[in-house]
Amino acid sequence: MESRAPRFRHLKGSVFWIICGIALAAIIAPAVAVVVSVLVKAAPELKWSLLTNTTLNVQNPGLQNAILGTLVLSLGVVVVAGPIGILGGIYLAEFAPRRAGGFLRFFSEVLAGVPSIVIGLVAYTAFVEALHWGFSVLSAIIALSLLTLPYIVKTTEVSFSQVPRSLHEAAIALGLSKITTIRKVLLPPALPGIISGMVIALAISTGETAPLLYTAGFSDHNPTPGLFNNPIGYLTYVTYYYVGQPGARDQALASAAAGVTILLVLLLIFGGRAITARQRKMVARLDV
Amino acid sequence: MILVRRRAGGPPTGPARVARTRSHELSTGDRVLQWVSGVAATIPLAGLLFITIILVVWAIPAIIYSGFTVFTSDKFFIGSFYNPNFSSVNGIVAPYGASYGALTFIVGTLTSSLIALVLAVPISVGGVLMLSEWIPRRLEGPLSTFLELLAGIPSVVFGFWGLTVFGPFLGAHIFPALSHLGVILPFFKGSWAYNGQGLLTASLVLTLMIIPIIASTTRQLVKRVPVLASEGAMALGMTKYEMVRVVTIPYVRTGIIASALLGWGRALGETIAVLLIIGMANNPPVNIYGTTSTLASTIAADLDSAFSDGTGMAVRAMAMLGLLLLIMSLITNLTGRLVVRRISSEALPVGRGV
Amino acid sequence: MNVRRHASIGFAVITGAVLVSACGSTSTVTAPPTSAAASASSSPTAAAVHTGNPAGPQVLSEAGSSLLYPYLQKLAPGITAAFPNITLTPAAGGSGTGQSEALSGTIDMGGSDAYLSTTQVTANAGALNIPIAVSSQAVNYNLAGITNLKLSGSVIAQIYQGTITTWNAAAIAALNPGVTLPATPIIPIRRSDSSGDTFIFTSFLSATNTTWSSGPSFGTTVSWPSVSTELTASGNPAMVDTLHSTPGGIAYVGVSVEGAALVDGLGEAELENASGNYVQPNTTTVTAAVTAGAGSVPASLAAPLIYETGAQAYPIVNFEYLIISPSKVTSSDSALAIRTFIEWAISPTGGATTDNLSAVQFVPLPTNVIPLVNAAVAQITG
Repeated sequence: MESRAPRFRHLKGSVFWIICGIALAAIIAPAVAVVVSVLVKAAPELKWSLLTNTTLNVQNPGLQNAILGTLVLSLGVVVVAGPIGILGGIYLAEFAPRRAGGFLRFFSEVLAGVPSIVIGLVAYTAFVEALHWGFSVLSAIIALSLLTLPYIVKTTEVSFSQVPRSLHEAAIALGLSKITTIRKVLLPPALPGIISGMVIALAISTGETAPLLYTAGFSDHNPTPGLFNNPIGYLTYVTYYYVGQPGARDQALASAAAGVTILLVLLLIFGGRAITARQRKMVARLDV
Repeated sequence: MILVRRRAGGPPTGPARVARTRSHELSTGDRVLQWVSGVAATIPLAGLLFITIILVVWAIPAIIYSGFTVFTSDKFFIGSFYNPNFSSVNGIVAPYGASYGALTFIVGTLTSSLIALVLAVPISVGGVLMLSEWIPRRLEGPLSTFLELLAGIPSVVFGFWGLTVFGPFLGAHIFPALSHLGVILPFFKGSWAYNGQGLLTASLVLTLMIIPIIASTTRQLVKRVPVLASEGAMALGMTKYEMVRVVTIPYVRTGIIASALLGWGRALGETIAVLLIIGMANNPPVNIYGTTSTLASTIAADLDSAFSDGTGMAVRAMAMLGLLLLIMSLITNLTGRLVVRRISSEALPVGRGV
Repeated sequence: MNVRRHASIGFAVITGAVLVSACGSTSTVTAPPTSAAASASSSPTAAAVHTGNPAGPQVLSEAGSSLLYPYLQKLAPGITAAFPNITLTPAAGGSGTGQSEALSGTIDMGGSDAYLSTTQVTANAGALNIPIAVSSQAVNYNLAGITNLKLSGSVIAQIYQGTITTWNAAAIAALNPGVTLPATPIIPIRRSDSSGDTFIFTSFLSATNTTWSSGPSFGTTVSWPSVSTELTASGNPAMVDTLHSTPGGIAYVGVSVEGAALVDGLGEAELENASGNYVQPNTTTVTAAVTAGAGSVPASLAAPLIYETGAQAYPIVNFEYLIISPSKVTSSDSALAIRTFIEWAISPTGGATTDNLSAVQFVPLPTNVIPLVNAAVAQITG
């Protein structure tokens, strides 16, 4: 293409690819460095007592309240954002008129771009203050749900639209109603995709701090029943708070919480990936 | 080519559309489902409107009080609560001496996110090209899990790492070397915090946080480069590099721009990692290592102090900062998604690129 | 070593205090009659603090000051052990959170490093500032081989203004006769983030240096004069770490971090007090400051304890408060639980033990403040 000597062309290529190699290394090395150095810092602190004690135990603090709190909040996200997101995704995939669907899909994705601290600030203003819910499980769950909803909507829609055309046609030929088609024909192959979307939504909510700071508050005690005026502990706060405290014990607790958080989040993400991979194989078999 | 076109066209043309039926054919059960799911599908839009309205309504008094000084003044001071006097501007009463100039935070937000963007785009694109062109297919999968790994690391863990490992390392080993650049680039001169807290460290961590967004989009688009075109280029005797330049890059360029805009939006709004690393100084950075703060990190750090303001104005000033941040991230997001609509919205990630 | 010093002095003072308020654990404490007790409740007799184990389980929610939080974490198991029906649920979040949540009634008690502002008091009639412990702040320096360095607020203000730049400057030498000071440049270290520590430190500088009070003045963040050598740090641990790695540095740190600073071998400055004596923060000097200040503590208990007079008084001292809004306390059982907790928390035989206090380097309330607290607590009637 250029009338230069081939040697020069190859040299130029080599330089380009060396730079690209460095770029790839600049992705891989930090990813490994972050995970390994956090786990190395956390490893000496990972003891059984983390699971049996709460952060209230000053002598030998644990993470029981934070882990249980994170589980409660995640469960809340499944209950609140799950049905809304799945139904919304079904609407976009199966019912929405083209223009309206495009419109709703677009703004759902824009919501995903709203900074999490802005969602936290609004949830604080509207729920904690204006509605007098106080630091509460419910305002935290709503904040996390707003954050994860677009993700669930999108994965549900994609899962449905990836179901092979042949299945749709078969359902129409059988004269099945829409609701039966969705339940009996489309949902089974779409389900793993939906579940992996939910799992990754859980990973996002497990790793978030900013939307919870002023909605969940924090509690040293294990979660108690009650949606209102009931602060709740969560894992990410332990790292955030204790890394700013002076004592060696505080720093150790921050490390432990960071290690547990990263393990939990990676478990969820790769779990979600595994489900998606299985789904792909399954869909490929269905496509006749 | 046809296959590529169809998939790149986005969800509206997906196979599921075939089965779409007109509403007059629907049974009662179908109508209920259509209606309920329709409501569910509008909730994200409703949430977005709700967020915008709440912030605007709460911010109004602070906007009236501040006027244009929001953009021109770097004096952000929530006032002396114990002073018996008050400051009154445009009929709005705030604690004595209150001033809500957001210039520091706007500068901090833009510089930290732009440095991250300038670094993340070439790293993501270069890394993905390397992965797709030179790495054997069976290694590609395992290597790309590192991208997922980066995407999955929570913000607070990045912050913890930046504060306890990466920052001190930079402060001790890298910044002393970088400061020699001060001869050519004056903002590399000067001192830095002992533990590396400051703008550059925060920007580097932000870079890692937005790489997955840009890289995952690039990777999906690179996979869709028409085989005919790339093989044709090679058949013409082009080197791999020339093929990438002539075929691949033009094909993925728009997608890169779009995902860069999304990544920028993510960097603008990143909170906890920046809060722990940037030093939270209430002033613009004195040099590239300097401590400063961003809109997002200031809201998280100072909302608490704002609660002490009996006049309630400080909380409204925080809502004003939140509104500024929302506007910035909406601009980057809307532009990014509009740009990409013409090629493929499917390739563009929602959320953090996981 | 130094930590132990704090503790042993604390013990001596507390032994004295036990004799004075030995009635701490009994169910009734008589408060002095007070006209200032403008009770928000309808209770006709607010003269006695009635305390005891509530009939049913009561959860006391607390959130706020992150300085007070570790202390309340230590108290939480103790209060339940003493009164099985009371559970304390402390949380951090910051002083502002503590104030606003307590005033709006979302929590029972709000932890705060500062008392309520006039605006907040006006808007929330009857809201109470209840001191439960005393905190202080140390000024540390990193100069090898130099112990017991004497400094005054005015000199420190000039250091942070950049007008005194070396350790052997005449103004510092004048305060330290006989000490060979190095010509090392002084590196002032300050907090970059917004902090209550900056608030009380700059309050001290404002009280002792007129250039400072008319210039940067005081606040959780201030417009710091530009000093070419200055360093900044975000958060208390970073202050200690930065000072430790900076020979010639000077920094202010909250006492809760002071243990770590002293273990690290940093120097703790002796500060000139209002009587012209040089003192370090310890139980004796901090208590002296509060005792001196208590004479002028109003019934509202809103008192800055900066630069108090008194021969032994340490100059940078503050109350740690629980903010309570009696009108938001709805049940008499809940009120009983709050009164019981505070009465127990300030009692040396209850929560204010040497062990609990020394863990966070706090000092107990002096005996002359306790009646004022009891008078305020009596207003919480549900």
